[in-house]
Amino acid sequence: MKKLMLLCIVPTLILSSHAFSAQPSGSLQLQGSTTVGPIGDAFAEAFKKMYPDVSITVSKTGSGDGAASLVDGRCDIAMMSRFMKPKEFKQATTGDNAFLPVAHVIAMDGVCVIVHPSNPINELTSEQVRNIYTGKIKNWSELGGPDSTIVPISRDTSSGTYETFENLVMNKEKMAGHVEYVNSNPQAHARVKFTKGAVGYVGLGFVDNKVKALKIDGVTPNQSTISSGKYPVSRPLFLFTKNYPKLGSLVHEFCTFYLKEKGQEIIESKGFVPVTNY
Amino acid sequence: MRLLIRQLWDKFFTGSAVVSILLMVLALVLILGPMLARGGSAVFFRGTVEFRKMQLALFNRGDVEEITAESAEVAKSRKVIFDTLNHFRRGIETEHLIDRARKIYRDYGDQLRQQNTPSEQYILLRSQAKKIRNKLCDAYESVDKNQALEDLGWVIQQQDNTNFKGTLLEELFTHAREYKKVVQSIDLTRREQYAESLNEVQTILRELFGPLPGEPTPSLALFQYGATRWDLAQKYLHRLLWKEEWVQTTPNQPLVRKEFERKTLFTGTELESIFDEVQNNLSAMLKPSRTFYWQYFIDDHPPGYYFGGVGPEIVGTLLITLISMLVAIPLGIISAAYLIECAGENIIVRVIRTCINTLAGVPSIVFGLFGLAFFVLYVLPRFHLSPKECILTASLTLALLVLPVIIRASEEAIRSVPRTYKEASLALGAGRFRTFVTVTLPAAAPGILTGIILSVSRAAGETAPILFTGAVAFAEIPRSLLKQTPALSIGSYVIATSDNVGMNLPHKQYGMVMTLIVLILCLNILAIWIRSRTSKKLHGY
Amino acid sequence: MSCKKDPIGYMAHFNTKNPIPKVKAAEFTQPLLLTPSEDWKGYLSNSAGRIFLFAITFVSVIAVLLIFIFIIREATEFLTGNNLKEFFTSTGWYPTHNPPEFGILAIMAGTGYVTLVALLLAVPLGILAAVYLSDIAPFKLRQIVKPIIEILAAIPSVAYGFFAVLVFSPWLEVNLDITKGTNALNAGIILALMALPTIISVAEDSLSAVGREIREAAYGLGSTRAETLIKVVIPEAHSGIIAAVILGMMRAIGETMVVLMAAGMSSQIPSPWWDLADGVRPMTATIAQEMGETPKGSLHYQALFAIGFFLLLFTFGLNMLSEHFLARVRKRKRG
Repeated sequence: MKKLMLLCIVPTLILSSHAFSAQPSGSLQLQGSTTVGPIGDAFAEAFKKMYPDVSITVSKTGSGDGAASLVDGRCDIAMMSRFMKPKEFKQATTGDNAFLPVAHVIAMDGVCVIVHPSNPINELTSEQVRNIYTGKIKNWSELGGPDSTIVPISRDTSSGTYETFENLVMNKEKMAGHVEYVNSNPQAHARVKFTKGAVGYVGLGFVDNKVKALKIDGVTPNQSTISSGKYPVSRPLFLFTKNYPKLGSLVHEFCTFYLKEKGQEIIESKGFVPVTNY
Repeated sequence: MRLLIRQLWDKFFTGSAVVSILLMVLALVLILGPMLARGGSAVFFRGTVEFRKMQLALFNRGDVEEITAESAEVAKSRKVIFDTLNHFRRGIETEHLIDRARKIYRDYGDQLRQQNTPSEQYILLRSQAKKIRNKLCDAYESVDKNQALEDLGWVIQQQDNTNFKGTLLEELFTHAREYKKVVQSIDLTRREQYAESLNEVQTILRELFGPLPGEPTPSLALFQYGATRWDLAQKYLHRLLWKEEWVQTTPNQPLVRKEFERKTLFTGTELESIFDEVQNNLSAMLKPSRTFYWQYFIDDHPPGYYFGGVGPEIVGTLLITLISMLVAIPLGIISAAYLIECAGENIIVRVIRTCINTLAGVPSIVFGLFGLAFFVLYVLPRFHLSPKECILTASLTLALLVLPVIIRASEEAIRSVPRTYKEASLALGAGRFRTFVTVTLPAAAPGILTGIILSVSRAAGETAPILFTGAVAFAEIPRSLLKQTPALSIGSYVIATSDNVGMNLPHKQYGMVMTLIVLILCLNILAIWIRSRTSKKLHGY
Repeated sequence: MSCKKDPIGYMAHFNTKNPIPKVKAAEFTQPLLLTPSEDWKGYLSNSAGRIFLFAITFVSVIAVLLIFIFIIREATEFLTGNNLKEFFTSTGWYPTHNPPEFGILAIMAGTGYVTLVALLLAVPLGILAAVYLSDIAPFKLRQIVKPIIEILAAIPSVAYGFFAVLVFSPWLEVNLDITKGTNALNAGIILALMALPTIISVAEDSLSAVGREIREAAYGLGSTRAETLIKVVIPEAHSGIIAAVILGMMRAIGETMVVLMAAGMSSQIPSPWWDLADGVRPMTATIAQEMGETPKGSLHYQALFAIGFFLLLFTFGLNMLSEHFLARVRKRKRG
């Protein structure tokens, strides 16, 4: 019995001692949108190569949570796929630890409406999309497709993608009760990939050959239509910091990485639209 | 009722009881089977040379010489394809060719100046060179085969001009001759189409073999290596050979997926041969071999989370569980001791027992809410720490969750110690405390240990209480107790539903949940074994 | 002085003029048990020890009290400030809309749907399995099946949820031609599997506690095994079985991860009401999905605590009920 206990305790101690070893120099905590998340992850990876002593944690829980945690002081940079709401601004600028949130636009993105590739429909108008999500249209046959029920998939309410969709497509109307709520972009993508009658909306970086992006009001979402603003549901992606970061600090480097060629290459490889053309 | 019907009814009832047990066993096998099998493929698989290269670069594992030798062999077998590809590309990516022509023209101008040619001759030669360059560029850009051949013919004629012998301009003529060959073999009107399909083929080749030779190393690890597993390689090979298309077979019905050979897009060109080449020689190009990647359980996530193992998650789970056990075990055993040894039958003890039962029945998410409201938002500020979720709060929440389990198991274990042990000790003159510590507790130890192991397995598998009190998915190993930590349970949840990388790599998804299940199964089998051994000792069966 | 009437010499004790001298017994001049005043050190350490043990045991009471206090604190702020009637009767849950709408009818109905499906499947199967284990199975088989049931109980809920969303849901969509694989049916079946071990172990306990005499009496009167079980043993053990069902219901109501992944997450009452292949959103899943992202202290946060409060109340009530039935079983076991 004693040997057994020893056998269990010793490896645990060895493994946990790994956790309490030396502190790294400089650490960065990012939290926020699942749309900007892949860019944050990729930047963190590139930074790890350039500054091996730095530890960067990227936590993807939604734009609303990112703003709240920046205000609370739980993260250094908040990734958001929408601008801060007036309420969040007020929370940031009042109180003991008041600061001015500064927004850095690192890429452009378009919210694409996706369906399963077996769906014969290729384009919809924003009016039709709105009617699908408010429940007025329930069957694909009403839009010229096969006779099957529409399964609308939406992001959860704290998501920046949801906010963009709500503002630009839904015109602030309520979504119907049978809309399924998922927590992140990859989850929405997975639901549409697996369910034949599903329709959902994700950022441009999450559209691949397993789903089909529809034309909205006759415009196909791609890099040129989004950067020129022709695609109706385009939006900038932000990194929010507390005041403008000190020049030369880690935060500043991270927030201006998108201007470097490497940063642009990463943004493009993830499927987003870089702000400039290098 | 007639006897026959009664007997039939009896048989039917017995049969349905047996069927229900069989259904349960079947359900167990159906659930565990696929998950363990697919998860096992994260540890046992056929790894390719790319995998070994990646292990060397990211984890410093493997013999450098061996891997370099392998890479050289593989590069040789891949050379054929890449040469064909490059050759074909030259006909398609004309911008590159035009830039090259312009560069040669500029260099020629520099060369003339260096040779100090008199200015009249300089202007003459340069204008002639310019004409040649422009004709060549027109030939590059034109889509009309005949026009292109005409222009190229004119350019090639110019090489007889003695002024240009021995100068840089000869390169232009070589390029023109090469391009003539390309023009004769390709249908120029389909250049746009070829460009797009070529792009697709190049992307898949990059997925299979890593960056194409001559390309700069990409900055993200996920693009730096080709297919690291043989099954992934087969998937990419299939995508290379077959292109999918969704066609409408019947009107007003969903589209149907059809596949056609990608080869047919390149009929008549030299690229057609690489498809068969890749298909026949893939194993020479990737060198798959059986790999036992047991380091999966201790590997960290390299940046990008594409490769690597579940080391941080295991460490996180063990940390949280260990700390919660450190809190819950003393509390639990002492409470059980009190309830059996010292408690009377008054109302306070009844209240205590009711509370323990209530604690056992609280839903796990309510524990999470309580942990958030109490430990994170109330207790931490009292100690002048910022109200952030951390390992400490998550462990304390879990400790509350497993406390009733430990109390119940300890109570049962202590109660099952035969009274004779206790009475013998008391008769020999030991006090009550001494009796408990030296006689009862060791006798009950196996039962208590079983309870502890079962509660460890319960704590390791719980997700809801730690979801917002201290656990995150995909973080690094925590360096202090006041940081958040990854854990197997929350990692499984996130990778199953919402992770981009996991969706494309099913072996990572199943690998994580397989680790969790294997950990918990081992703990439970251990507990069952201990219990069966001591059951024989104490009860005789 | 003994005489015929008093052979022992008993009356000598009442001779006050010549009393019998007190003889000292060998060693014990004092009683064995010391009073507190004589052994104050021992008494103190004994009492201190007992108080210490009591305090540690009382921690669980304190924990329960704290849980109730903290959850009620956040929940009542919401409940007293808002329209309770709307809270209970509206089906729309739009916490971030402008103005926010908090109606938990659809969410509670979601919990009801998955629990109902789970119980419909788990109760018959569980009772049959418990009957098999207590009456029909030979001893060796029992030793094998019991560990299997324990393993079924030990599998973490995330693993069940993983199976439900990645393996079961596509299977449902392909083979049963259901539009959406994550729905009340999916979650209900998996919850039934999770509640089965609880039901089986408690029911089997109470079936075994029914004495042999009752069974033997029934067999002696000529009943077949099925008749004994159905007409005699199960009714006799009815309080234990009811407790088992209640405990299974508690497990199904309190389960979070499976419903978060597999129940469909649409806050609606399925229409038509009997369509189980439609998504629902139980209470636990709503809290788990939205809690991580709500700003602390906001109205949304308090509304989620209100849901948690009702969950707690409900399970507390069910717990008390099951305790009542289990006490009856224990009474039967003892006497």
